[in-house]
Amino acid sequence: MMFTISAMILIPFIGALLASIFRGGAKAIALVFSLVPLVISLVMYQQIHDPSTLSYVEHYGWISALGISLKFGIDGLSLPLLILTGIVFPLTIIYSWRLPYTPQVFYPLMLVLESALIGVFTALDFIIFYIFWELTLIPLYFVIGMFGGPKREHAAIKFFIYTHVGSLVMLLGVFALYFESGIGSFDLLSLIGAFATLPTDLRNIIFAAILFGFIVKLPSVPLHGWLPDAYCEAPTPGTVVIASLLSKMGAYGILRISLPMLPAVPSLTLFVKIIAILGVVSILYGAFLALAQTDLKRMIAFSSVSHMGYVLIGVASFSALSLSGAMFQMFSHGLIIALLFMLVGVIQSNTGTRMIPELSGITNKMPIVAFLVMGGFLASLGLPGMSGFVAEFLTLMGAYPSLPVYVLLALVGVLITASYYIWAMQRALFGPYNENLGEVKDVGAIQMLPMAILLGLIILFGLHPAPILKLFEAVAVFVEVLI
Amino acid sequence: MNIEWILSNYGVLLPEAVLTLFAFAIILIGLKYRSILGYLAFVGGVVSLGLVIMNFSVNATLLYNSLVFDPLSQFFKVVFLLVTLLTIIASLRYYHGNAHQGEYYFLLLIATVGMMFVASANDLVSLFVAFELGSIATYVLAAFDKENPRSIEAGFKYFMIGALSSAILLLGMSLIYGITGTTNFTALSQMSFEMSGYTLAALVLIIAGLGFKMALVPFHMWAPDTYQGAPTVVSAMLAAGSKKMGFVAAFKLIVLALIALRTEWYMVFAVIAVITMTYGNLVALTQRSLKRMLAYSSIAQAGYIAMALVVVSYTHVDSVVNLAMGGALFYILSHAFMKGGAFLAVGTVGYMLLRDKIKVDEDDIDNFSGLSKTAPITAFSLTVFLFALAGIPLTAGFVSKLLIFSAAIYGGLAWLAVIAILNSALSLFYYARVVKVMYWDKPKFDLKGEPTAYVVAVLLALLGTVLLGVYPGPFVDVAMKVAEVFL
Repeated sequence: MMFTISAMILIPFIGALLASIFRGGAKAIALVFSLVPLVISLVMYQQIHDPSTLSYVEHYGWISALGISLKFGIDGLSLPLLILTGIVFPLTIIYSWRLPYTPQVFYPLMLVLESALIGVFTALDFIIFYIFWELTLIPLYFVIGMFGGPKREHAAIKFFIYTHVGSLVMLLGVFALYFESGIGSFDLLSLIGAFATLPTDLRNIIFAAILFGFIVKLPSVPLHGWLPDAYCEAPTPGTVVIASLLSKMGAYGILRISLPMLPAVPSLTLFVKIIAILGVVSILYGAFLALAQTDLKRMIAFSSVSHMGYVLIGVASFSALSLSGAMFQMFSHGLIIALLFMLVGVIQSNTGTRMIPELSGITNKMPIVAFLVMGGFLASLGLPGMSGFVAEFLTLMGAYPSLPVYVLLALVGVLITASYYIWAMQRALFGPYNENLGEVKDVGAIQMLPMAILLGLIILFGLHPAPILKLFEAVAVFVEVLI
Repeated sequence: MNIEWILSNYGVLLPEAVLTLFAFAIILIGLKYRSILGYLAFVGGVVSLGLVIMNFSVNATLLYNSLVFDPLSQFFKVVFLLVTLLTIIASLRYYHGNAHQGEYYFLLLIATVGMMFVASANDLVSLFVAFELGSIATYVLAAFDKENPRSIEAGFKYFMIGALSSAILLLGMSLIYGITGTTNFTALSQMSFEMSGYTLAALVLIIAGLGFKMALVPFHMWAPDTYQGAPTVVSAMLAAGSKKMGFVAAFKLIVLALIALRTEWYMVFAVIAVITMTYGNLVALTQRSLKRMLAYSSIAQAGYIAMALVVVSYTHVDSVVNLAMGGALFYILSHAFMKGGAFLAVGTVGYMLLRDKIKVDEDDIDNFSGLSKTAPITAFSLTVFLFALAGIPLTAGFVSKLLIFSAAIYGGLAWLAVIAILNSALSLFYYARVVKVMYWDKPKFDLKGEPTAYVVAVLLALLGTVLLGVYPGPFVDVAMKVAEVFL
């Protein structure tokens, strides 16, 4: 029990070292080592007693002069994200099995990324959180830059610098909090607790600075500028990981750090309004942008902006129901978006294009892909029986009492979401087959496996969300009491 | 006057004595056996380093209080010796078979002795003499590749501007003596000054004189040309070691000796620090020569370190001063590894091109295309050094910036920290560009294997950079402890 989280962080990293040494076995090593965190997180799930408090806490010294220590722990908010990380990485690695990426470079990068993500989701010291937060950028910078599309150089550097600046602003806010409060420790919970003791005008600035860093990563309109390039130029596995997990870092940061601070913010109503507006604008603007796209990958990229807006609505709602819905959205969106980007990758590699107008009637040639696309699209637009519905329904229903106008506007977003998905489906999947595409093969078994698993999980958690939802609910109720 | 008496009284001088002995031995032995000189210099450095570390927490003064041996001086000596050792290891390959090796290692060790005495100086006169000893040897080193016109230019420029700035520094020091009647730092630190035309002139002259060695803008003009033209192993030593001589002199003179005046300097230092980091980063953005880029990045890094001077002149709260100076010291140690390592990695590529008879500009960014395939260890290490210089976590650079930026915020200079952080983000752009070239461009030249000596030096620097980033606790504690000298 002592070193559970350290092991979770270190094992993929060790795997990365091994995979870069043993070129031939890189794939197999990557798969095995990426599965370990899933196994550990499932064991934790079995054993966790009270998801509303921290368990598996580990604490070691690091820089005592500044009060920075290596402190890790999990609760009902982080555990599902660890499970999600544990699910997405092995599936992405299986998906990449036959893809032409230099194995001794690509797989170590993925494993380092997994380590860093687990670190973000478990760190309980702000500097350690920040270190892992920044560390996720390095492997992704290489993944995008080395294996990405034609404009990858531009996309890689833009992604790197855009989110780096966001993080630095956040770091400044935390410095101010640390020194003004004078508690002499970067412990996350102590810092959040000390927030209320600061002078009022400073509290507004600090809260805004920290929120800024998270919103860039989420991303929310208007700070989503890095997203289309990074999502579209990254190779499919990279896109899957960014969309499915990296965007959850921003959401996790908001829920873990900003939300508990929110009650002590002097301009509370103003900030709640800003967060709600950012949420609704992201939902609507993202949906409209998606509607206008002809590139399937871009369309899904913008749909991601739209869907992450729900998290902000949940935060602004001050209701446990809506909050647990928003948290569940993180989990559900992580599965759905992974499936969608994997599908786009298959369509592009098998047909040679991902432009909606050039894809017509591919159902005839690739029935399995078409089936999975339909499943993914319907899940993403919130069809009852799938996980997206549970998340969005809970978020909006819970938020209605406190934010009725915003919820109604968000419902318009749901409508637009349904239209762009169904419209895209109609144009790309059905209709007469575009003969210019030539002979097109359906997806192979290796790539079908991870996608089928994802669709299965989406339906499973749509019909029976309780196993994950109960963890989130425990945390959300706790947060509501706090507020 | 038996040996025990000497040892008990002058034992603290042993590291310098050993190094000097080895330097002269090298000159003599070099007349007959050239091939062992590098190893001999290395042994001298290691012995000296061991002696310094054994005597780390010493507290002694020597020769009528003109030399002081305290944790501060020992800390800087460790930094200087580490850099010298890295340089020697890489030089084993670069100057292998060179007819003038004897002189090279002699000068290298003598320069180090000079720098070590600067770290121990406790008097204007001893400081100046040691400063000159450390400088003059490096002028010759910069021009050591005498068949290369660029190296000659580098040495000449460095010498001219160095001589001028020494004169300026000396004038400033003589004014201080004229005002106070003493040259001793301990005595100076207890004086109360009145602000007058003389003190102002003295301050300006001293800042200018030391600013040259630290390569602070606007006294930096020599640095890019010198770092580019000098043999790369020497550039590593200049940027990572010799520059720190300026810092230790500045810390001693400004923070310790002229403590009564430092409040007046706050704005001057703030302006210099901001201009230095911003100018360095902006100009580095457009460089094609990697050595020039590293030179400008080195200027920017000096700006970050100079933030400590701003903080200690702005506030006199003990805990802030301690954090700022501790941060500066940790930064100096980290910078020795990051910058020294980066120059050595660039030098590795230059050496491989030379060895494989590929006639190009040795440090053009195009030479680094696809380096990850032709020289994977060098490419990986250079990547870590560059990310460290940009302040990416789990490297020494991150912890250094963390300490020094937080000291600025702690001291109430949040605006300075904001400027520094923006600068740090800007710098990522040019560092990442080099990484991009190395990792996702196609190899341009077919390089045949990485030279062992260079790889060893680069890997040692890499070890330092990563160790200070992953396990900084004890090193930060040491730096903070050493910084208590400034309280």
